[in-house]
Amino acid sequence: MRPIHVSGKASIDVSVNLRRASPRRLLAWTVATVAAVFFLLPIVWLLLEPTKPMFDTLGGTPPLEFGSFTVLQAWWYELFSSSTVYIPAGPILDWLKNSALYAGSGVVIAVALGLPAGYGLATFEFIGRRLVLFVTLMTMLIPSNALVLPLVLEANSVHLLGSPLAVILPYGLFPFGVYIAYLYFNTPRIHGLIASARIDGASEWQAFRRVALPLATPVIGLIALLDFVASWTNYFLPFLMYWPSSITGRYPVSVGIALQLIQPPPTNGTYLGNLDLALATPAPEEALLLLLSVAPVILVLVIAQRWIGSGRLRGVFGG
Amino acid sequence: MSVAEPRRSNWRSMGGETRLGRSARTRSSGPRRRSPAGYLFVGGYVVLLALVGIYPVAYAFNLALTTIGGAFTGASNFVNTYKDFRFIPAFAHVAEFMAIWLTALVVIVIGLSLVAHSLSRRVSAAFRFLFYLPAAFAGSASVMLWLFMLQPGLSPWDFVLQAFGYTSLGDSLVPGDLPIVFALIAFWTGAGAWILVIHGALMNVPDDVLEAAALDGAGPLQTALRIKLPMIKKWIVYMLIVAFAGGTQLFAEPQLISQVSRGLAAGFGSYGSWSPNQLATSMAFQTGNFNYAAAIAIDLLAIALACAGILIFRTGLFKAD
Repeated sequence: MRPIHVSGKASIDVSVNLRRASPRRLLAWTVATVAAVFFLLPIVWLLLEPTKPMFDTLGGTPPLEFGSFTVLQAWWYELFSSSTVYIPAGPILDWLKNSALYAGSGVVIAVALGLPAGYGLATFEFIGRRLVLFVTLMTMLIPSNALVLPLVLEANSVHLLGSPLAVILPYGLFPFGVYIAYLYFNTPRIHGLIASARIDGASEWQAFRRVALPLATPVIGLIALLDFVASWTNYFLPFLMYWPSSITGRYPVSVGIALQLIQPPPTNGTYLGNLDLALATPAPEEALLLLLSVAPVILVLVIAQRWIGSGRLRGVFGG
Repeated sequence: MSVAEPRRSNWRSMGGETRLGRSARTRSSGPRRRSPAGYLFVGGYVVLLALVGIYPVAYAFNLALTTIGGAFTGASNFVNTYKDFRFIPAFAHVAEFMAIWLTALVVIVIGLSLVAHSLSRRVSAAFRFLFYLPAAFAGSASVMLWLFMLQPGLSPWDFVLQAFGYTSLGDSLVPGDLPIVFALIAFWTGAGAWILVIHGALMNVPDDVLEAAALDGAGPLQTALRIKLPMIKKWIVYMLIVAFAGGTQLFAEPQLISQVSRGLAAGFGSYGSWSPNQLATSMAFQTGNFNYAAAIAIDLLAIALACAGILIFRTGLFKAD
């Protein structure tokens, strides 16, 4: 049982030694770089594609070459102008607005209901508390897709199919956020602070509002980040809520980008043979649309980068 | 004792639980206040949970046990959907996809996490962020992007496609190869998040253990295989179970591919029938049989709940006291 600072110091020495072992370091760098190319090349391509003219895409300019800003500008105007050739004016902006509305409202509900719930589960004892915790765990550990068909069947039965509420309410249910808040508030430090606030005569609401809430900014940020990314990128739920009834004006952008896929004319025979990608929009314009559809998420991830890299979210992703 | 205590709990729990669970310290904290005020804090969330979590499941369960007219039919919807000629193939497709995907997760994600763990803190953080970035494309965007990636002439991977002798998108989407294509897309989008999790677990392997191993003459490979991996076993199991449960729910990839290939690659119609979720969706919106769709949804939900149960009761990663 050595004092902790000794082992800490020794481990620093060890890691410095390992870092100097250069063949191993070179190998690690090489593997990491190859992996980074795999993960990034499609994104780099996506950034370059909208700079290319339409008839250049199949076998013209090499895929990883920059075209020109003039062309990019032209695609931008084409995408948003009222006289657009390939997409009826409006939908793209509508889709982006819809995504912002659905994901934004979902985040507000997830924080407004999830944070007090986590607080309540962590600081009060009441009948049913363990049951709520258990159902929360079960709900957060099943894949969110598992609830999509039941939700669609339910929405169908109450005639909410096609209504914005049909996606906003499910986005607002974020049991993982409740669990994070519960863990955050379920510490001796928070318990102690709340106990002192009560002794000082604070009501239960004041203890939450004045003591716990100001300390919970990281939790709010985390719930908002995770729920926003999950809601914005969700495809299965909004697809089923809006597609069968073809309410294109209500599509979020995740469904809108897929609408651009058209079924190509049938070829002879059943083999896929000479099937090529058929889009309602030219490839560069579709690439620009794709880029716009993920831009808000990328922006959020870049802002949260330090946080993600720092390991503070350890064990949180993928759940 | 004050020094030994947190270290011991670190040993027992391994990985992020000490950060998330804080089980050792929580138990020593004072009792919660018995007060009906708890209901007020939890109430709103519980109502929403009931509305869009529990009720839909109960409703689907009820649908699965009844006829279109509402009469109780026992297990007949389950039996009839099972007998559908597309049912077994759909689950077989997903099993094939998962064999590839889970193998890739175990080998490549753990490999890259170990690599990231060996790099200096800042370099490692930068790489992990780059690996994670494709998560922004989750859902339909990744499939749309990979359709471009698989289109000869358009793709930056053209040289790879040419090496395989592919001349059109149809060559990349040969039905037999679809599990590989879907695994590729799922891996590109999801591997980064798992690298964050596994790397996080590696960070919690105590330094003095690694130091002792180094002093005993263990090389980097031996340390990784004999010390690091056994100590993060729980998190690897967690990854596999969550990925397995998620994999059974495959929808966006096969649905979009079935659409782009006129149903030749992943089942006909706008929904297709390559995966169980596609089949359920087809039954609901193409055949109009919501009871059959509910039966398949319940099949899938049973798998998901079993996985969640294993995670809660067997891994000890999630504490709720």
